[in-house]
Amino acid sequence: MTGQLRGLSELDRVIHEPARLLLVALLSSVESADFLFLLKESRLTKGNLSVHLSRLEEAGYLTVKKTFRGKIPHTEYRLTTKGRTAFDAYREQLGNIMVVKKTKG
Amino acid sequence: MDKQIETAMKRGRAYWFADGFTELLGGIFLILISSIIFLRGIAGHAAFLPQFTSIAVDIGIVKLAAFLAILMVIWWLKDRFTYPRTGVVQGKRIMPGVILTLIRNVFLVVILPVLGLLAAFVFLPSLRSILASIPAWLPILVGVMWGVLFYVSGEWMGLRRFRIMGGLTLLAGLAVGLWQALIGFPNLAAEALQADWLQPMPEALRAPLDEILSRLFVGMSVLCTATGVFLIIAGLLTFLHYRRENPAPYREEL
Repeated sequence: MTGQLRGLSELDRVIHEPARLLLVALLSSVESADFLFLLKESRLTKGNLSVHLSRLEEAGYLTVKKTFRGKIPHTEYRLTTKGRTAFDAYREQLGNIMVVKKTKG
Repeated sequence: MDKQIETAMKRGRAYWFADGFTELLGGIFLILISSIIFLRGIAGHAAFLPQFTSIAVDIGIVKLAAFLAILMVIWWLKDRFTYPRTGVVQGKRIMPGVILTLIRNVFLVVILPVLGLLAAFVFLPSLRSILASIPAWLPILVGVMWGVLFYVSGEWMGLRRFRIMGGLTLLAGLAVGLWQALIGFPNLAAEALQADWLQPMPEALRAPLDEILSRLFVGMSVLCTATGVFLIIAGLLTFLHYRRENPAPYREEL
């Protein structure tokens, strides 16, 4: 297995999925965001978004806080330190793969 | 791919400006400040320094009061208009280390020109020409500083309108400076520099100083108004676009 392929196989699969990558990228630049913001920005369906957020929560990459704004339920998501570290590591790995690809190509 | 990740990150950073309220109210705030500068600048005063300080105090009080009022209005508007449509985002908390770096950078940006100016006052023979040309160079300096600030913010948040605004503010500063330079500068008597600026001066000494001061304030007022108008136009266009994209509040199903 070449170094480049090994790098690909070592990528964090939880983050590597495109929808989840988008969600983590959105959350990485803010302290917290609610379900509506993530829904509008990702353009996923509500069900799909819920599944991806649950997957990230299971991995310990984000925390969920459920409150009410008046009478409307409000769900807030926040990246954990583990999630931020994983995202930074993912970007670094991806960057390394791209560098290897450029130097070989 | 990294570019797409960066774009997504910028969307989060720029969310505070998605509705245009901050620019709209920021523009109104700048125009308010420019009116004070203009009115106090053209109003006569017995002595040079008290006039200068009274304007600074006025601007300080208005800045603080208006800033707090505008912040409350923005929060109120976002709570009723933006958050029900596109959600709530809490900006990233600024860590003490970042605050210290920010303070250091602001300090350097503000202090370096002042130190440069002081050095010029000490080492350059023509102190009078520096003072006389203040209506030209100060608007250019402020225009460049605001322009850089807008442009860097635009780059950081991926907002093209901020980059455009940076260019326009810089051009406005240059235009005001050029306009003042083309009019020519008053001839400041050497005795004016030795006079007590806290006390009323003889008319012959005071007239050029008055001219410098009123031209400086008119110039700065024009720059503030122009920047305020740019902000209001940008805010209005952003608000209209946001409203068209998000016409009704979103309701999460219970």
